[in-house]
Amino acid sequence: MRPLTRTLALTILLLSVGGISGAYSQLTILGGNINMTVTTGVAGGEPIAVTNATISLRYRLQNRITKITVRTSCPGQRFNLAVVATSVPQGTAAPQVTLTNGMLAVDLIVSIPRRPPNTNQTATLLYTASSTFAQGNSAELGNDVHTITYTLLDQ
Amino acid sequence: MKFHFLILVPIILLFCAQMQAQTVYATRTHRVTVIVSTITLVQVSSGVVNMTISGADAVAGQDLMTLTNQSTNLLWGINSSLKKITVNTSLAAPQFTLKLLAGSSTQGTAAPQVTLSTVPADFLLNIGRSSGNCILQYTAEALASQGTGTDPHTITFTVQNQ
Repeated sequence: MRPLTRTLALTILLLSVGGISGAYSQLTILGGNINMTVTTGVAGGEPIAVTNATISLRYRLQNRITKITVRTSCPGQRFNLAVVATSVPQGTAAPQVTLTNGMLAVDLIVSIPRRPPNTNQTATLLYTASSTFAQGNSAELGNDVHTITYTLLDQ
Repeated sequence: MKFHFLILVPIILLFCAQMQAQTVYATRTHRVTVIVSTITLVQVSSGVVNMTISGADAVAGQDLMTLTNQSTNLLWGINSSLKKITVNTSLAAPQFTLKLLAGSSTQGTAAPQVTLSTVPADFLLNIGRSSGNCILQYTAEALASQGTGTDPHTITFTVQNQ
């Protein structure tokens, strides 16, 4: 292979994988892992749902209109968990997403505009955990451990 | 030249496909653990029930006088399995008889009518992992020969393992 051809081929290859490079600063979950505990309820009603808004999602605008999706893996899921993005500075929050084990990725924030500005945007993740009396409790059934995946991609 | 063409065409096609595909810029995960505590709730709809047997409840020639009351409800919420509710009274030596039955229970199985005593007796069975309510059907009984008096009961409902 001639040097020119080799250079051209390498350049194209690098361009073709360009979507991967630099990905590590494009989306960040701020706040780490959390526990949510349902502790009380209403006699004749249901347990009272608990919410958590301590986690944020930081994302960067791209050269194309993008969106953020969410999905979860929670083998043996017994209770209920939902998430919605609030205080979304760029883009539009989708309706609350019910997180179910094995679900396909569902839109969380859509229509994130192109840059500029090339700056970080931060939205709040509002989680809601709930259960019914009929669903039982963790002492008998165990906890639900969700591994939740957020993806920033072209819309 | 032919060799270069064979190399370049797949690479260019790959590049074009990349340009058309939905680019994923980043994927991140974190963990959310949902814990549901053991919740056991039982509640009466009203704190006080007064039952007064009067002459209107008497039948001439009959010693037994009875009066019923269904004005209150029992509500519960339990997320543990295999539970029942028992009932007992604080009054060790009542002058009259007070009986109780769970009526129109939305969940579980009502036990037979209970004559209240200080010993807990089954009131409602099979109410594990449920939420519901029932009518508290009190029946007070007095004999005309017992005369007059007042029995102040403090009635306790308890959720127990079945």
